[in-house]
Amino acid sequence: MGHGVKIFNAACKGCVNCIKSCPTEAIRVVDGRVRIIPELCIDCGECLRTCTKKALGMDEDDWDTLRTAGDLQVMSDPTLYAQLGSYRRPGVVRDALSHFGVREVASEVPLAYDVGAYAIARALEEAEPGRKPLISTYCPAIVRLVQVRFPELLPRLVPVESPLEIAGQIWRRDHRDSNLTLVAPCPAKITLVREPVGREKSSFTSVVAVKRVTRDLLASGATAEVPQKPMENIRWLMWALRGGETRHVTQFLDRPVKTMVVSGLRNTLDLLQELELGHLPGVDYVECRVCDLGCIGGIGNAETRFLSEIRLRELPVRWELTEHEFGEVQELYDQGIWKLKVSPRATQSRTLGKNVAESMNRLQKLKKVYDELPHIDCGACGRPTCHALAEDIVRGEGEVTDCIFKLRDRISTLAREIADLSGHVPHTLRNREED
Amino acid sequence: MNSPYELEFSVAGEDFLAAGEGSNRVKETLKMLGIASDFCRRASIITYEAEMNLVIHARGGTVHVEICPEQLVLTTIDEGPGIEDVELAMQEGYSTAPDHIREMGFGAGMGLSNIKRNADDLAIDSRPGEGTTLRAVVRFAQGKGGIA
Ligand code: SF4
Ligand code: SF4
Repeated sequence: MGHGVKIFNAACKGCVNCIKSCPTEAIRVVDGRVRIIPELCIDCGECLRTCTKKALGMDEDDWDTLRTAGDLQVMSDPTLYAQLGSYRRPGVVRDALSHFGVREVASEVPLAYDVGAYAIARALEEAEPGRKPLISTYCPAIVRLVQVRFPELLPRLVPVESPLEIAGQIWRRDHRDSNLTLVAPCPAKITLVREPVGREKSSFTSVVAVKRVTRDLLASGATAEVPQKPMENIRWLMWALRGGETRHVTQFLDRPVKTMVVSGLRNTLDLLQELELGHLPGVDYVECRVCDLGCIGGIGNAETRFLSEIRLRELPVRWELTEHEFGEVQELYDQGIWKLKVSPRATQSRTLGKNVAESMNRLQKLKKVYDELPHIDCGACGRPTCHALAEDIVRGEGEVTDCIFKLRDRISTLAREIADLSGHVPHTLRNREED
Repeated sequence: MNSPYELEFSVAGEDFLAAGEGSNRVKETLKMLGIASDFCRRASIITYEAEMNLVIHARGGTVHVEICPEQLVLTTIDEGPGIEDVELAMQEGYSTAPDHIREMGFGAGMGLSNIKRNADDLAIDSRPGEGTTLRAVVRFAQGKGGIA
């Protein structure tokens, strides 16, 4: 699977801090190596935040290679425009990038976000009450989290494509065979490109981190003229900040709807759990992001989310669309360009055995193994919990002695046996001693 | 033939934060067995509501879950005040939750009706003043609304 997280084994010290941070218990440290169970990883980037040894990173394409190859065309996530105070206007960033040979092709993006927001509004109006609340699909890590841990909620995902992909598709119409690089704030959006959910293939051909591009912008010292004309359509930049999507969507609704905005991994997990239990009646739409404060909190950004937030909040946003803009949105909506082609499916859950009977057997075994473990979830065995170790053992992927407490027990038993044995007199000498 | 897999946990009265742990464990266990997700959802809703009933009404109790390849049987036992009129208690919106619990947004009287909606079988044996035993069954093959 083409995941957004990369492992640098040489840097790993085996500290096992990462295994605790993973919301899906996808990480193991076995035989001195970090391993990620691909079907469980949702690319949230939490493990990257925890690893202080830089053994985990974003699996992006090589920015330097892309840049030196020339004729680089990039399209960026809104977060890029919140990284540097002086570049807050997309037009200015475009200028600055062009100074070092990078062509930013953002002109389709604002329209694509309008179309995405409009499509969500329509979906909200059309959904039967029983299907609500609908859940935003903007954060790819959320989509994966639902696939892996909350498959019951799959029908609630709003069937609307990421506006970044919509923009990519619009651009592709005139640029069939060109390369297009996405500038992304997180591993999840790398996966959006490498292994998309909801469509066969991404419109992007490569992907790099916002951090990379920002650093180059800074280092180049490129200054751009700040244009005097009024700000272009920047409604879309607000999607980088929690609540921005919802604000944009409500722009297209005639009647008020009850929306809920949640960001941060812990909050998201709590929310999905509540939804799964059928709570929160009366809510129509849920915007959730696994990163704190929204995408500006993504691990691939250069600037702290706190400053980015201030910058975005200061921008004068015009939410109403001009008649011309609305005409364009309507036209693209009618073409169906916003639709997710394939509905996201549940990730095949990792059952214990090949069928229910075998799984039952292993489950009984698992219980026995688990009962013997100390239940303190210390992580020293390289698994996030004692339960995960028990699971690995019955799957044949671990030993009881991976647990240091069990190992200690074994050693003390062995030590007693050795002490016992040392009392024995070699048989060759036995008679003499008796004499 | 496998012997059933058993889970048991106790729930403390008015411990709202802990309620839900049991339902999670049930769901995770069913997933490991490869039980279809619709049944997992129903079983976890039943467990959650049953846990909540123990928290809100019964000053705590124990939850016992027995899982076989064919079905799940959940039994809760408490020594709470009991239910005066079981029929009535099963009606949507009927609740005897005290005000301070309703103020927290719990006890809206959906618990038992929600269990009933999701269970294939439900039996409640209650003695006012002595306690309640609730037994709910989810059948994995032909049960309610499930996919065979
Ligand atoms: S990216 Fe998230 S889900 Fe994937 S291994 Fe890291 S913490 Fe776990
Ligand atoms: S919230 Fe945004 S930045 Fe964070 S993982 Fe989701 S898409 Fe990426």
